[in-house]
Amino acid sequence: MSGSLIIQQPGNSVVTDMGRFRGPRFGLPVNGALDQFSARAANILAANADNAPLLEITALDFRMQATTDLLIAVTGAPLTLTVGGRECPQWEPVSVRAGETVAVRRITGGLRSYLAVHGSVEAPELLGSCAPDTVIGFGLRLSEGTELKTCRSVGPIRQPYFDLPLFRLGLTRPEFSSRAVIDVTDGPDVDEFGETAELLFNTEYTVSARSNHIGLRLGGVLPERQSTAEVLSRGVPMGAIEVPSREELLVLHRGRGVTAGYPVLAVVTSRSLDTLAQARPGHAITFRKTTVPEATAKHRAAIRELENLRSRVSTIFALLGIGKEPGWPELVPAAGS
Amino acid sequence: MAATPKPTPVEIFESGDSALRVVASSADTEANWSTVHSLAQWLETAGADGVHGAVPTYDSLLVEFDPGVTSARQVRAFVLLGLRQLEHVGAPARTAREFSVPVVYGGEYGPDLERVAEHQQLSVEEIIALHTAKSYVIRCLGAPAGSPMMDGPDFPLPVPRLKDPRLSVPAGAVAVAGRQAVIAPAVAPGGWCVIGQTPLTVLDAASEPLVPYLPGDLLTFRQIQPEEFADYAGRKLEAAR
Repeated sequence: MSGSLIIQQPGNSVVTDMGRFRGPRFGLPVNGALDQFSARAANILAANADNAPLLEITALDFRMQATTDLLIAVTGAPLTLTVGGRECPQWEPVSVRAGETVAVRRITGGLRSYLAVHGSVEAPELLGSCAPDTVIGFGLRLSEGTELKTCRSVGPIRQPYFDLPLFRLGLTRPEFSSRAVIDVTDGPDVDEFGETAELLFNTEYTVSARSNHIGLRLGGVLPERQSTAEVLSRGVPMGAIEVPSREELLVLHRGRGVTAGYPVLAVVTSRSLDTLAQARPGHAITFRKTTVPEATAKHRAAIRELENLRSRVSTIFALLGIGKEPGWPELVPAAGS
Repeated sequence: MAATPKPTPVEIFESGDSALRVVASSADTEANWSTVHSLAQWLETAGADGVHGAVPTYDSLLVEFDPGVTSARQVRAFVLLGLRQLEHVGAPARTAREFSVPVVYGGEYGPDLERVAEHQQLSVEEIIALHTAKSYVIRCLGAPAGSPMMDGPDFPLPVPRLKDPRLSVPAGAVAVAGRQAVIAPAVAPGGWCVIGQTPLTVLDAASEPLVPYLPGDLLTFRQIQPEEFADYAGRKLEAAR
């Protein structure tokens, strides 16, 4: 049975997914959930495909009402989650009854949280992704009264005694800190910065308020390019660290323009891009040098952790009958027939 | 990309845990361009698990991949395989299409036209004549939103970028900077000099592909008058042949 979510207080929220991976070759940024680990975890906890559309709620309080029974999961930055006024755990599946209000308040320590609904919500797609693209004006930004169609309903699952939390799936949550350490590998143009490249590792940087999904701007002591030759436009990776001005370091995130003409000093690892997605203006950032094989190993360890979570979720949900197609229960053939 | 020359030598650079930069490093810029674009096409057609795609520009190619599925080492081997294949079979030839773009020059449509003329020490008419004289090869699709990046008109001097980039440049803006030329498919901030505007719709987010041209296609500009702008408005940019 399908129903809908009615947005009562949008804050700063959009419907997104893991990103538009076919975009860059057409000149479009990949975009998608900025903290990929948290977004993927939310979808796994809601027994969805990793790439299913989900809500990204940035910084501000958010409230919505469900018109049908649902199962949801909220991950990302620490916050207060209430359903029908009851406080509920983050990073676990949560039952919502038809008519109840789901509120996300006081996002602290980080910046972005993710709300996935079992069965997902409907959203328009471009090149196979619903991720908003602010440059071409595509995507679903939520406003008061927006109605999101949900694709599946799940009857209430409650612990009969004292309404204790029902699930304890035990995923190790990422750390959220106002002093983040960010892993980077050498960029392809590191030599252009000569000895000043080392400054990146000896400086504490401060996240500027001008940071967004396109890139973070960091204030601090800046490495300086030693050459002045014109650089032809070329593809730049997510996580590229550039020094476009005398004032700030620019760290490109998932909304970055695909091509640019600045030398790439260093590249933030996939895991640390998730950490940066949670950095608030004023937070302190220091950089640590790593290698591509180490970064890959860390990324794969995180994926393995999520895969373990997925198998726990699917076992438990199968026992509870969540995620089965509605219809007659399968009948065991009568003995002897 | 009608010609299918042999690929030039390339250098491959690590670019984080999810991308490689491949640079064609010969002295022949045309051969470099053709190499990175044929290689992008080959990677696209061959396909490999975990490889998201390739972004070719002038002499370089960014190959993006999912480090959970594949690795920089495997993708490097895949790129080298592609180059060996191109060595033997060449790139598939594609006939270039031609686009003709009507442009209103100057005034509110091209606020930087006079400044550009002054800097080049040419008249506004001469600038327009030079801009409409050439058939441009679309070198790559760039930011924002699939902009057709082209080698610039035959101006005497490179065009300096604006000291204060505009916060908003309208869709259809026809601009120049350095030795490059471009049309803006979507509203975006920009530091290039805007010399005119086309009334045609370049980017259609409702259709796929989003922009009608590919690298290697040809594009010419032709001057129209401000009163003709409305006649073209809402029409989509389409290949003349």
